[in-house]
Amino acid sequence: MNGWKDSLGNFDPNALMYQLPFLLIVGFGLLVLVLEAFSKGSSKRWLMWVAVVGIAAGFIGAYLAWKKLGVMVPGDAQVVLDIARGAAPPSTDIPYRELFDGMLIFDRFGVFMNIVFLVGALLTVLLVADYMKEHGFEFGEVFALILFATAGMMLLAAANDLITVFLGLETMSLAVYVLTGSWRRSPKSAEAAMKYFLMGAFATGLLLYGIALIYGVTGATNLHTIATEAPKVGSNPLFLIGVFLVIVAFGFKIAAVPFHMWAPDAYEGAPTPVTAFMAAGVKAAAFAGLLRFFGHALGNERLVWGPAGWGSLMWLLAIVTMTLGNLSALRQDNIKRMLAYSSIAHAGYLLIGVVAAGFGAKTAQPAVLFYLLAYTFTTIGAFGVVAWLGNRGDERLLVDDWAGLGSRHPAAAMAMTIFMLSLAGMPPTAGFFGKFYIFRAAMEAHQQLAGQTGMMMALVVIAVVNSLISVYYYLRIVMAMYFREPARETSPLRSPAVALALIGSALFVLQMGLLPSRYLDMATQSLIGR
Amino acid sequence: MSFFISLPHTLALGAILFTIGIIGALIRKNALIVLMSIELMLNAANLTVLAFARARHDNTGHTLAFIVIAVAAAEAAVGLAVLVGIFRTRRTSSLDEITMMKQ
Repeated sequence: MNGWKDSLGNFDPNALMYQLPFLLIVGFGLLVLVLEAFSKGSSKRWLMWVAVVGIAAGFIGAYLAWKKLGVMVPGDAQVVLDIARGAAPPSTDIPYRELFDGMLIFDRFGVFMNIVFLVGALLTVLLVADYMKEHGFEFGEVFALILFATAGMMLLAAANDLITVFLGLETMSLAVYVLTGSWRRSPKSAEAAMKYFLMGAFATGLLLYGIALIYGVTGATNLHTIATEAPKVGSNPLFLIGVFLVIVAFGFKIAAVPFHMWAPDAYEGAPTPVTAFMAAGVKAAAFAGLLRFFGHALGNERLVWGPAGWGSLMWLLAIVTMTLGNLSALRQDNIKRMLAYSSIAHAGYLLIGVVAAGFGAKTAQPAVLFYLLAYTFTTIGAFGVVAWLGNRGDERLLVDDWAGLGSRHPAAAMAMTIFMLSLAGMPPTAGFFGKFYIFRAAMEAHQQLAGQTGMMMALVVIAVVNSLISVYYYLRIVMAMYFREPARETSPLRSPAVALALIGSALFVLQMGLLPSRYLDMATQSLIGR
Repeated sequence: MSFFISLPHTLALGAILFTIGIIGALIRKNALIVLMSIELMLNAANLTVLAFARARHDNTGHTLAFIVIAVAAAEAAVGLAVLVGIFRTRRTSSLDEITMMKQ
C-alpha cells in the first residue's frame, strides 16, 4: 500500500542512530581504502589523519548513542513519551534496543565496549604510521584494516545472536590476520600471520560446530531465546558439547591456556603496534562476546556450576591461564614475548570476572569493563614504548637493550614504569583498580553462593598470588632502565604522533588510578540490556 | 525395504567429516592441507546446521549457512595470501620448517 515504507516492515530508520559508531567506522574505512588506491606518491602517512578523523567521528557517534540510550525504555512507547515530557525513567529497567530482527542489541554495554575499541584503534593508528615509515613498509591499507577490524569488534559487542557473534568475530579476525602479516619482507611477520591464521581458522571451525549443536538443541541462534531454552535442555549432551566447543573457540581468541600456543609467536612476529592492537582490541572484543553469551545469556546458576557447567570449565581455565601465563613470562628475555605471556595472564584475571558475572554478581560486568578500558591504555602504551625504541633493522627487544634508558630518555622510562606498575596492578595506576574491582566481584559471587563452595575464594587467592609473581618480571624492566649502565646508543623514533599516544595513555592510566570513580560510574551504567 | 536419509544420518555424516577435519588440521604438516582440513570443518558444521534447520522447518539455519559460505570464501582468500607470503620468504609450506620463533 505504502510503497517502500511497507517493504521496510517495522524497521525504523531513526534506529540507525544507535549504530552510528559502527557505520562511521565502516564508512571511513572504505574512504581510506579508496583514497589509498587513488593517491599518488609513496608516503601514505597522511592517511593516518583520515583514520584519526574517522575514529574521532566514531567517538562522537558513541557519545550520541550513549545519550540516546539513556532515555530509552524497552518496548513501551508511552514510557518514552512520558520521559520526553519530563518523567523520571524507571530505574529497574536497563535501556536497550534490539534491531534487525533481534540480530543486534544496542545497550550501554555495547557503547562502552565501542569506546574501548575506539581508544585501541586510535592509539594503534597513531603508533603505526611512523613505525611503518621507520621500518620501511608503508601500506595505506593498514589504516583501513584497523578500522575494519574495529568495525568487526563493534559488531561482536552488539551481537545478540550467534550468527552476528560469528560474523563479528570473523570480520575482526580476518582483518587482524592481514595486519599481522602486513610487514611483508619480514619472515617473522609472515610466520606470525600464518600461525595466527591457522589457529584462528581452526577456532572458527570449532565455534561454528558449537553453534550448530546449540542451534540444533535449542532451535534458536538468538541469545535471548537460547537463554530461555537452555535451562530446559541444560543436560543434553549435544548442548554441552556445543557450549564446550564455543568455550574452546573463545579460548583461542583470548589466548587462554591451553589454547595459547600461537600467541607468543604471533605477538612477537607481528609489527609492534599491531601486536598492541591484538593484545588490547581483539581480547576486549572476545570478552564482550564472552560476557554476552556466558556471563549474561547462560548466567543461570544451574548452568554455570556442576561438573558439566561452563563455570567449572572457565574456573579451571582462569587458574591455568593466570598461572602458566605468569610463570612463562618469568623466563622471557624478549620484551614482546614477555608482554605476550603477560597478556595471557591478564586474560586469566578477566575470566574471573566472566565466571563471577555468570553467578549474577552485579559488580562483575562493570568490573570487566573497567579492567578492559584500563588494560587497553596500559598494554598499548607498553607496546608503544617498545615500538618507539626500535630502529630499522634493530628492534631492541631484549631486556638488556633497555639498560640505562632512565638516564637517556627519562620521559619514556617514566611512561614505561607507569605501564609496568599498572600491568602489575600496583597503585596509583589503573591496573590496581582493575584488579581490585574484579576481585571484589569474585567475592560478591562467593557470597551469593552462600558458602556452598569456596571455589570463588580460591580463585581470588590464586589470582593475588599470581599478581605477586608478576611483579617480578614487570619490575625487571624498570630495574634495567633505572639501575643499569646504558649499554649502547639509542635513537628512538622522532614522531609527535607516537609521543602523543604514549603521553595520552600514560595520563589516562594515572587518571584511572587516581580518580577511578568517574570511569567506574560509567561502567556501572553500562549493563547488558535484556 | 525402503531407505531414506533422516536427521541422524546427516548428523553422523557431519560429525564424521568434522572429526576428519580436526584430525587433519592437528596432524598434517603441510600448511595447505591444514587449510583444506579447516575448510572441511566449516563445511561439516554447515551440513549439521542445515540438517537441523530442515528437521525443524526453520529458516535461521539457512541464513547461518549462507553467511558461513561467504565468510569461508573470505577466509580462504586471506589464508592463501598468507601462505603465498610465507612461501615467498621461505620456499616451503611445511609447518615443521617454519619455526623462526621458538621456546
